[in-house]
Amino acid sequence: MRKTSRAVAALLAVAALVVAACGGSDDDKTSSSGSAKTSSNKPVTINWWHIANNDPLKTIWKNAATQYMAAHPNVKIKITVLENEAFKAKLTTNMQAGKPPDIFQSWGGGTLKEQADAGLVKDITEPTKPWISTLNDAGVGLYKIGDKQYGIPYNLGLVGVWYNKKLFKKAGIDGPPTSWNEFLGDIQKLKSAGITPIAVGEKDKWPGMFWWANLSLRVAGKDAMAKAATDGGTFTQPGFVEAGNQLKKLIALKPFQQGFLASPWDGAGGEAATVGNGRAAMDLMGQWAPSTFAANTKDKKGLGKNAGWFPFPTVDGGAGQPGEQFGGGDGFAIGRDAPPETVDFAKFLVSPAVANKGGASGAILPVAKGTESSVTDPNMKAVLDARGKASFVQLYLDQAYAPAVGQAVNDAVQQLFAGKASAEQVSKKIADAAKAG
Amino acid sequence: MATADTTIARRRPGATGRRVRRIGARTLLYVVAWIAAIATLVPILYAILGGFRDTGQLSTNPVALPDPWVFSNYTGILKSSTFWHQVWNSTLIALVSTALTVPVAALAAFVFARFAFRGREVFYTIFTLGLLFPVAIAILPIFIMVRNLGLLDNPLGVALPQAAFGLPMTIIILRPFFHSIPSDLQDAAAIDGCGPFRFFVRILLPLSRPVLATVSVLAIVGSWNAFLLPLVVLTDSGGWTLPLGVTNYSQQYTTDTAKVLAFTTLSMVPALIFYAFAERQLIRGLTSGAVKG
Amino acid sequence: MPPRPVRPTASVPAGQAVPPSRLAEPVSVQVDKRRRGPGPRDRQRARRSRVARKWVAIGLFLLPALALYCLLVVAPIFQAFHYSGYKWNGLSSPTNFVGLDNFKRAFQDDVFRGALKHNGIIIALSLAVQLPFALGIAWILNQRLKGRALLRVLFFAPFVLSEVVAAVVWSLMLQPKGLADHTLDAAGLHSVIHDWLADPSIVLYSVFIVVSWKYFGFHMVLYLAGLQQIPKELEEAAAIDGATTRQIFRYVTLPLLGPTIRISVFLSIIGAIQLFDLVWVMTGGGPVDASNTMAVYMINHGFKRFEFGYASAVAVIMLMISLVIALTYQRFVLRRDIQGALTTQGR
Repeated sequence: MRKTSRAVAALLAVAALVVAACGGSDDDKTSSSGSAKTSSNKPVTINWWHIANNDPLKTIWKNAATQYMAAHPNVKIKITVLENEAFKAKLTTNMQAGKPPDIFQSWGGGTLKEQADAGLVKDITEPTKPWISTLNDAGVGLYKIGDKQYGIPYNLGLVGVWYNKKLFKKAGIDGPPTSWNEFLGDIQKLKSAGITPIAVGEKDKWPGMFWWANLSLRVAGKDAMAKAATDGGTFTQPGFVEAGNQLKKLIALKPFQQGFLASPWDGAGGEAATVGNGRAAMDLMGQWAPSTFAANTKDKKGLGKNAGWFPFPTVDGGAGQPGEQFGGGDGFAIGRDAPPETVDFAKFLVSPAVANKGGASGAILPVAKGTESSVTDPNMKAVLDARGKASFVQLYLDQAYAPAVGQAVNDAVQQLFAGKASAEQVSKKIADAAKAG
Repeated sequence: MATADTTIARRRPGATGRRVRRIGARTLLYVVAWIAAIATLVPILYAILGGFRDTGQLSTNPVALPDPWVFSNYTGILKSSTFWHQVWNSTLIALVSTALTVPVAALAAFVFARFAFRGREVFYTIFTLGLLFPVAIAILPIFIMVRNLGLLDNPLGVALPQAAFGLPMTIIILRPFFHSIPSDLQDAAAIDGCGPFRFFVRILLPLSRPVLATVSVLAIVGSWNAFLLPLVVLTDSGGWTLPLGVTNYSQQYTTDTAKVLAFTTLSMVPALIFYAFAERQLIRGLTSGAVKG
Repeated sequence: MPPRPVRPTASVPAGQAVPPSRLAEPVSVQVDKRRRGPGPRDRQRARRSRVARKWVAIGLFLLPALALYCLLVVAPIFQAFHYSGYKWNGLSSPTNFVGLDNFKRAFQDDVFRGALKHNGIIIALSLAVQLPFALGIAWILNQRLKGRALLRVLFFAPFVLSEVVAAVVWSLMLQPKGLADHTLDAAGLHSVIHDWLADPSIVLYSVFIVVSWKYFGFHMVLYLAGLQQIPKELEEAAAIDGATTRQIFRYVTLPLLGPTIRISVFLSIIGAIQLFDLVWVMTGGGPVDASNTMAVYMINHGFKRFEFGYASAVAVIMLMISLVIALTYQRFVLRRDIQGALTTQGR
């Protein structure tokens, strides 16, 4: 049986090579298919996997592809749209089989690094050099491993605190807090007014990780966090432990909604639903928060004009600087076997022509310099503003670090939220996972 | 059989008393059955009704009747050709998968049940291994195998592995049933010049209709709800099955729960219809009883 | 050519173990010594060709199953064994061989040991609660009740529903102030209300309830098929002899249902070991690993942490545990069924 399958595989490999060389599509026609017009360039197929499975971004992408194909008749773009989790699972099997798509969704960081180490993504430093500086630097940095560029960003946002202005007023809070102590004081005020201060969807684990990560950034500082990516032992240093203790202090105030350990981010009973329906005052979340709030309210308006945003407070005595922010975004990585036209297509996707549409629709915070004006919503503008001022953006930890470590962070922090671990234990668990993974 | 219990039974109460007790017992059975049925149904009703609300309603008030009744979830799905495409794909794959699993497994179960040979239990154990092994970890090698066979984006690429993994359960269930068919029948058939294969097709299979219907239903339902295997084998969304289709209502940061509920309620219907139909086979099997003393 | 064999009257004494060689061989030939019947060499040749025919039959019958199975199940399992010896993130080929380290790590990990314990609890609860319930329902549905066809479909419906939806719906119902809490309130049982899914000490039992709801229909269907193969005459005969319903059930139905029950128990145990989908979507194994199962743990490490070598090792451990249970079960419990202890001449 094995011999047969190997023979079949060999045959298929040869056939695949022939097909690829002739740039045919997935059916067995080997020569140029009907869509190829007379052009000096050979017909080329680009396989594009993205995760915008809903509008408006889904249509924006589709139109972009159509536009590009019209301008480049020899290029055929095959789009596969997948939901987030399905995409991750499917990408894994394709990667394992050595068959990565040509251009695909990527969050950069540790996962991209593993893909680069395995030689499954293309080094595009050279082809992108002429125009990469037109994109937001922090964003570009997320897709750089060492000195080499393996992808480009199309969306970059920050995580900050979304708050309900009406509830703040009710609790007698004048304005958003800027320091951690002020923040803790505001929590007390909200509790006295009978308002749930914070919603967190700790079932999903990453919402809680946001708290720990932001505190670590403020207390331990960005250099420590970068060092921790390669040296797991860094997690046990005093900076991280102190961050954990501060988080413990917050948790001890019992500021969260009932049943938060089983509450997801999205969906009925989730973090977004709680905040969107005015049942909690604050939410530490990324720029997608308002749209999720809206989806979870009956009138689809979410907090509307009541919504405000402020960056995560600074911690006195911490190593972190105000300009250092926590966030992340989306981008595209280029697969190992991608034809050269793919990079050009990627460039088109993040160019103002397409990015402005994305920004206007509220789907993304575009990264090409000069596209910021397409964003109109005042809260989004606030995020964009903070992003512009940011000297450094720390990527979400479950993306920044190797997947094994990132997940360990999520798991350990959940233990902290459940009162089952101390800050030291949390640090140790993460360090151990870094060693074992 | 009737031992000391006969003394108790001999104290026969009056005929009327016994009839009253029988009606009482019958009513009790009805009551218990229907209470259990309703309790079983509640979550499903919740899903059906949830499809008539929208996600905002569900988040605002998880426990309430639809207000207003949102029909667009259901109608939108029923009108979309994508949905019907996916129904077709799911049906095709489920039928092919079952058409492979049941006959192949029946042949094997027959051998295990009615032949004796050295190494029989070893082979049987090898088959049960498939049951003991989680498909999810096997998915990486399976994907490579399917790819090597050139069956990516092909319904067979899903049906074949599903059939292979369905074999253990089916064989395990069929074997005792095949064994309980008395060997007198097989001996008699052999006298009449009927070899094992004809015995299998002409006598054993018809007699095993209840259990064959059972394993067919299990195979179809298993295939109907499968997610991971179709996900990795089928890339072109034209070939997607229903479980893949439902992911269209989820995104990176948010899920349209109401549409998910509507979609999955509709997906459940074909499988339930099939079960209701197969049900009658199960009942018919009773009257054409294999074993009359 | 040889004289037509006479039908034997007592080739298989009821209740005794059937000597294996008798199952597939044609019945013995009664030789009329007066005619020149087949000599010893003819008989030997006949026996050998019978044996050859038997093996051909076995081979042909088994071939499709074996081919399909080896290609798509056994080969991947061997691959998983191979991977389990490596530290590997699932991309390209594994290169970092670590031998048995992955296995050592699993057994030293608290979370894995906890998951193992949870699997055990689910098994015990399933056998004690879920299976008897399914049997009871099957028995009820086997009686002549009006509307029982509809009832059968209703009880089977949860099994047909996809795991994802079952999990989503139950999560909705079990959330604070969800349907469950409302119902308990309305029934005056407010004090019983807990954080069904958020409280680490009870989340496993909440999961068990959902698992039972989802899967009892499967066992019910098995028992129904088994019940329907019991000849009515036996039960009627016992009733005529004056046995009560309970006695009929205990002394006639239950023993004849034996093989089915034993299979059902086996599948339930194995299913409980593999428990994944429902837990994954409802709780993710949490909170804080309080509802973790081995399969959830394995997928977490495989597809989320990208530790495929380690996850393969966990899968191998699961396989080994299931194998031990399966072999022990087969040897001590299922043996009786295969030996033919059960025939229609019942006991």
